[in-house]
Amino acid sequence: MIDTSLKVLVVDDMSTMRRIVKNVLKQIGFSDMVEAENGQDALNKLKAGDNGIGFIVSDWNMPVMQGIELLRAVRADPDLKHLPFLMVTAEAQKENIIEAVQAGVSNYVVKPFTAEALQVKLEKIFAKTQATKA
Amino acid sequence: MLVDRDIEAEEIDSPEEDHSINNELAELTKYVEMITSTVRDMESPVTTTSDQLPEATAHLNDLAKLTEEGTHRVLALTEAIETNRGAMQTTLLQLQQKIGSEHSADVEKLVEMVKADERRLTDIHVALSFQDLVAQRVAKLVTILNEVQHKLLKLVVIFGIKHKKDGSSTKDEGRGSEMLRQLEASKTTALEQDLVDDILSEFGCS
Repeated sequence: MIDTSLKVLVVDDMSTMRRIVKNVLKQIGFSDMVEAENGQDALNKLKAGDNGIGFIVSDWNMPVMQGIELLRAVRADPDLKHLPFLMVTAEAQKENIIEAVQAGVSNYVVKPFTAEALQVKLEKIFAKTQATKA
Repeated sequence: MLVDRDIEAEEIDSPEEDHSINNELAELTKYVEMITSTVRDMESPVTTTSDQLPEATAHLNDLAKLTEEGTHRVLALTEAIETNRGAMQTTLLQLQQKIGSEHSADVEKLVEMVKADERRLTDIHVALSFQDLVAQRVAKLVTILNEVQHKLLKLVVIFGIKHKKDGSSTKDEGRGSEMLRQLEASKTTALEQDLVDDILSEFGCS
């Protein structure tokens, strides 16, 4: 079951994509969402004390800091490494997926995606998270 | 090749040999004239093309900007419709409780119709993600055009063709080729979600 009470960090350099992802998450039931326009911006927000962020949805291809670098930084930080990380990206080469998996991505959605695909991925991530906790 | 020949003046002692070298020099002159003429012919198209490329880049950037603005406009309107739809659904549910069982089924039908629109609106939002893909492709094309422009300007300088404007920076040299490769690759080898899921499951991450 998806924990919609979590605060979600939506990371994408395109303002339209941030808005679209937020709308889909809202339809799924999330109401607490923050945005970042690149990996560095996201990392700053994540490292800001008491941010309350519990879930990350990130694009791959961004200026300043790419999504994959953000993922590595998150997994390398003891305070952040537990956060579920969903990559939503047009970078859909086999190497990209393997690289993301090796970096510790929770799941991977290819653009253009459907609302159903995003929901299914979220369900899988939360099922895994709950199984790990149990 | 003629240019590679080692000509030593003291060895040229017969009129036949002298005549032969004169012929070859005449041919070489013709060849140089032909190349000069070809370079001159190239001047106009090369200069025009290198002048037009920044314009093409500007058009592409405008294209990305226009699609972004249009997408935000559609999103704003669908968000407004969604707000109304949510309010309508709440009102209908309240109405259903007030009117009792007599017309409850009719109201239920209306609630179902309004709920169905929620999914349709989400589908519209998601469909608008095309703009992000367009913007990414445009960015790749702009990088490629910048590199082509840079190479054309190099050609202009090498052949001494006069040009009006200064070229773009050399920062992106090589990047355009990489972007072109990515652009080509994304057309033919970008994986569908099912295949992505297969790879993820191989790593226990589906």
